[in-house]
Amino acid sequence: MTEQKDKPFDRRRLLTRTGKAAFSIAAASAVSYLAYDDKPPLPGSAAQKLVTLPDFSLPHLPGQTISIVEGPNRTKTVNKAIELLGGIKRFVQPGETVVIKPNIAFASSPILGATTHPQLVAEIVRLCLKTARAKRVYVIDNPINDPASGFMLSGISKAATAAGAKIVLPNNHLFRHTTLTGGRLIKNWPVFFAPLEKAHKLIGVAPVKDHHRSGASMTMKNWYGLLGGRRNIFHQDINTIIAELAMMVRPTLVILDGTEVMMTNGPTGGSLSDLRRADTLIASCDQVAADSFGSSFLNLNVSDLPYLAKAQKAGAGTTDYQSLKPKFAAVD
Amino acid sequence: MGSINRRTKPLESAISVLLLAILLFIGLAVFAKQFKYDMSRFGIEQAPAHYPSHRPQVVPNHELDLTSLNPENFQPLSKTEVYGHHNLYEKINGKASLYLDSGFTKLLTRRFISKDDENLWAELFVYDMAAPRNAFSVYTVQRRVDAVPLGIADPNYAYRTANALYFVNARYYIELVGSAESQPLLAAMVKISDNLRKRLPVNNLTDIADSTLFPPENIVPGSIKLYLTNAFGFQDLTDTFTAKYKLPNETVTAFISRQPDSLKAATVAQSYYNFLIENGGTTKQASNEALHGRIIDFYDTTEIIVPAGPFVAGIHEAQNQNSAEDLALTLLNRLNEAAKAKTDDRAKRQTVR
Repeated sequence: MTEQKDKPFDRRRLLTRTGKAAFSIAAASAVSYLAYDDKPPLPGSAAQKLVTLPDFSLPHLPGQTISIVEGPNRTKTVNKAIELLGGIKRFVQPGETVVIKPNIAFASSPILGATTHPQLVAEIVRLCLKTARAKRVYVIDNPINDPASGFMLSGISKAATAAGAKIVLPNNHLFRHTTLTGGRLIKNWPVFFAPLEKAHKLIGVAPVKDHHRSGASMTMKNWYGLLGGRRNIFHQDINTIIAELAMMVRPTLVILDGTEVMMTNGPTGGSLSDLRRADTLIASCDQVAADSFGSSFLNLNVSDLPYLAKAQKAGAGTTDYQSLKPKFAAVD
Repeated sequence: MGSINRRTKPLESAISVLLLAILLFIGLAVFAKQFKYDMSRFGIEQAPAHYPSHRPQVVPNHELDLTSLNPENFQPLSKTEVYGHHNLYEKINGKASLYLDSGFTKLLTRRFISKDDENLWAELFVYDMAAPRNAFSVYTVQRRVDAVPLGIADPNYAYRTANALYFVNARYYIELVGSAESQPLLAAMVKISDNLRKRLPVNNLTDIADSTLFPPENIVPGSIKLYLTNAFGFQDLTDTFTAKYKLPNETVTAFISRQPDSLKAATVAQSYYNFLIENGGTTKQASNEALHGRIIDFYDTTEIIVPAGPFVAGIHEAQNQNSAEDLALTLLNRLNEAAKAKTDDRAKRQTVR
């Protein structure tokens, strides 16, 4: 300070200081420019760490693990089904972030039953936000068809956003690689992880559908929509991949919609005649139990769907849904 | 030029500290925000740079043009998309294997939407199955129970349901799936299919002529199916036509499987017979001598398997043995007549020469 005070501030000093300042700015800019990377980390790169999906499940309460409600109105049946399990506040706490995973595999009209019904998604969003006072709800899926078209034509983007949810379309930078411990197929495979990383609770919502490869598509098969990459290779061993998905994803709750069941020509369907009204909806903390009961909608036995036994053996749930003492009800 | 008093005043120091604090706060806020961004704003699909693109290609100049098919009150909702072997699953997922196992070569799709009602739209699927036989197979095995004749072609090759049209034309299998049950939409889909049929090859279906060998009496209209492989779960039962028959107390399935020659037909018939026995079937006495040793009781249903010239023919899962035997004999007579007619025709042509 003394030097500054004593020395005269002449033109030479001004130019010197200006030059130094300009050099500093140029150097900082050059370093920033050289270090700038406009691409997200590449999935599968050596630098990327494998992740493990959080366990979103809650402890089972005796007699409040699975509920089965008959009725033609999805809004009423889902409310009753969740109420029988203790209400939405048992599953979602105020301020939490909830991820809802519907089945939006195809860019098709909701009347075809190939995707989760938008009315059902909207009601679950409403329950989470209004009744349970969740902070935010994300609705996610990695559709087989073009994602934006799928969300739009299925009616889910409109219904979910109207109810207050945010839609998250798949993007590479939202995927991380995971390996399922004890798994045979899910090894270093990209999953739609980023929304789940931020979430406190996960709710799966799936329709009951005939499936050309697996026999049936229900809540466990619905997790297929969390996978990225060339996931169709898993169709070669469809029963194992569905069982592994049930091991990998531990949801808070699953909703299985049997209001209209796709009996034939699944999983795409296409004709209204592929559907049959069963007017039943299941809410369950045990996805294996839900799908085991759901197999009856397709006139199948549990033994007709080998992935159910595999998932039970792996500890993902029980095929003996009666042992969970399901709660039954009917609503108009 | 005199000296400068560089001693800072308290106010200047306070302002400097305040500015530095603001800059620090902004820096920390930016740092924190990057971990809490709104995913719904950034989750827009992008083509991955490091994976090969499996998204459908838009092919403007494909051999089969799907432009200008829509009636005046409809407009295209999407561009034509084309799928091949490698990415068919991206369009129809688990059903892809049905097509891939049946000679599939290409799928073209396009959506059309009403200009008056955004809820009325339809998607056109044109499957190129390489041969009419393949197209007929995927058409028949998916035939809906509530099929109604479409009126644009032979009812055996076209039908509609409440919201969709399905037909086979030459090597193409076509679906038009509507978003709703609506008369204006159905009319638009019929118009689109009419326009499309004008661009398709002539409907030459000679290679599914075996389907005409079923006796016409009591046949359930539109019930004929073609299984290219693995009919009734038996690997060697290839190129198998089946048809439903309405008998007095039940509906039964008759089948015809063409083999390369009569020797091969006899071998396959015996193999299928043995297959059923090995899987729990038991030999059943025939009331008609021609069917002796050809009838099996398979878990309280009757199976009949008979070689007839180059064909393996029979009855599948009948409840009543007598009715099944009657139908089997009618089928055998029909096949024998066809074989005789073919032999006579060949002899006539040789005589003419």
